[in-house]
Amino acid sequence: MLSVKDLIVHIDGSAILRRVSLQVGAGELVCLVGRNGAGKSTTFRTIMGARRPVSGTIALEGHNLLHLAPFEIARLGIGFAPEESEVFGDLTVAENILLPTWTRPTARPAAEREALAYRVFPRLERYRERGGQQLSGGERKMVSIARALALDPKLLLLDEPTEGLSPAVVPTIVAGIASIRELGHAVLIAESNLNHVPDFADRLYVIERGEIIFAGPPADVRKDAAVARVVDGAG
Amino acid sequence: MPAAISAIANVLIGGIFHAAVLFLVAAGLQLVFGVQKIVNLACGSFYALGAYFGITLVNFGLGAGLPDWTLLPLLVLAGLLMVVIGPPIERLLRAVYDRDESFQLLLTFALVLMFQDIFRLVWGANPRSLNNVHLVYGKWTVGDFSVPVYNLLVIGAALLTAFLIGLFLKHTTFGRLLRATAENRAMAEALGVNVRAVYAAVFTLGTLLGTLGGALVVPTAAASLDMAVEFVIEAFAVVVIGGLGSMPGALAGAGLVGLIRAGALVLYPEFEILAIYLIVIGVLLLKPSGLFGKPAA
Repeated sequence: MLSVKDLIVHIDGSAILRRVSLQVGAGELVCLVGRNGAGKSTTFRTIMGARRPVSGTIALEGHNLLHLAPFEIARLGIGFAPEESEVFGDLTVAENILLPTWTRPTARPAAEREALAYRVFPRLERYRERGGQQLSGGERKMVSIARALALDPKLLLLDEPTEGLSPAVVPTIVAGIASIRELGHAVLIAESNLNHVPDFADRLYVIERGEIIFAGPPADVRKDAAVARVVDGAG
Repeated sequence: MPAAISAIANVLIGGIFHAAVLFLVAAGLQLVFGVQKIVNLACGSFYALGAYFGITLVNFGLGAGLPDWTLLPLLVLAGLLMVVIGPPIERLLRAVYDRDESFQLLLTFALVLMFQDIFRLVWGANPRSLNNVHLVYGKWTVGDFSVPVYNLLVIGAALLTAFLIGLFLKHTTFGRLLRATAENRAMAEALGVNVRAVYAAVFTLGTLLGTLGGALVVPTAAASLDMAVEFVIEAFAVVVIGGLGSMPGALAGAGLVGLIRAGALVLYPEFEILAIYLIVIGVLLLKPSGLFGKPAA
């Protein structure tokens, strides 16, 4: 499905990603864990085509994503929910969710894709006509994830889906992610807090200062003392 | 109708007519700024191009034996045809999309100067006019009050345009994509919106509003080399008063500027430009974001 190999990204002359490699298989839920500034968001934005790497490869189902514009990458089937949600305040909840159905028509009808988004986050259906700027932080996060899901993606990138939310909202988001996984979508989550990594994650990557320092099952993450120090200090 | 009321009605209609044309150009300016964040000084040149080409097409059409009533369709056609300059200029502006506003202003002002030379080359340095041919549609007269029907048609066309733009932005899929792009270009692109295509379409639409405005105004005012600069200054006054990027602001700003200008022309002609800029200064002092603009974050 998604294959990232030896990705090197520089920003303003500084190396932000140093030979990052990761894989997400079909239907897998994979987490990229690291402290703030470790390179998680840069990894996501590079996959989405918003940053050009110095070197390395990014492929989705064997299709080379390098040199594609972000809109072409989205149309290939990568849904993206950014850390700051970035819900369109000038559009209603329904318009936010329907937007990717207009840009990426698939065999699944738009109405079905919208209904699916509301099945994952039922609360949003009540707010269909509410403007994006009238939503709480948790609701914006739900819209952001639901909108990425409405792209009918092969892979979802969720950047810090629970960051900054009240503890009361976090279970709703986690339950939504579990539903998405049950639907068969591959998911890659960036997370700064190991405690927020869903129990049902298949694999974990730990990134520190732009380098992947661990790749494996979540149960093994603390076996290496150096990695344990990083993940326990994250968040 | 008493003479005083007729005089006021004449001033009002004159102001509304000017506001109608001003709205078309300012709406194009607002649309382009709202979505592309480009301050396009060249919108005044599009207006002048529409005016010059309108004269050429009308002279050609009527000279070839078309009936006089085809004046308005010919002018609309002139505005539509001149839209061809929109896409290549948008292509040129891509060089400054992600650069400082000063680069955008310099490049679009350079375009204004280049267009001015092109107009001089093609149409000469002397003003060109259509010699009251618009009176072919007759006049609407009530007592001492009289207004050319053509002016009422242009006012109606501008109001219809305002209504259609509102409908288009609010209720069409492309309008929604456009609003999303205006708000957050990167996120729109990450959701599959081809931002370059949106920019090209918006700029072309903005160009069309400018060329159409110029073509429609030319039967009542001569086309001249200075008209681009003069009009762009007024269009910017509209934008500052209404609020940068706001379409209702363009409508309100154009109405205000048109009426102030018409009133000043009657009461104290020397005060015409000064009156507009006093309002601009007042708005900048009291509500810097304009009457309908959103305050900067």
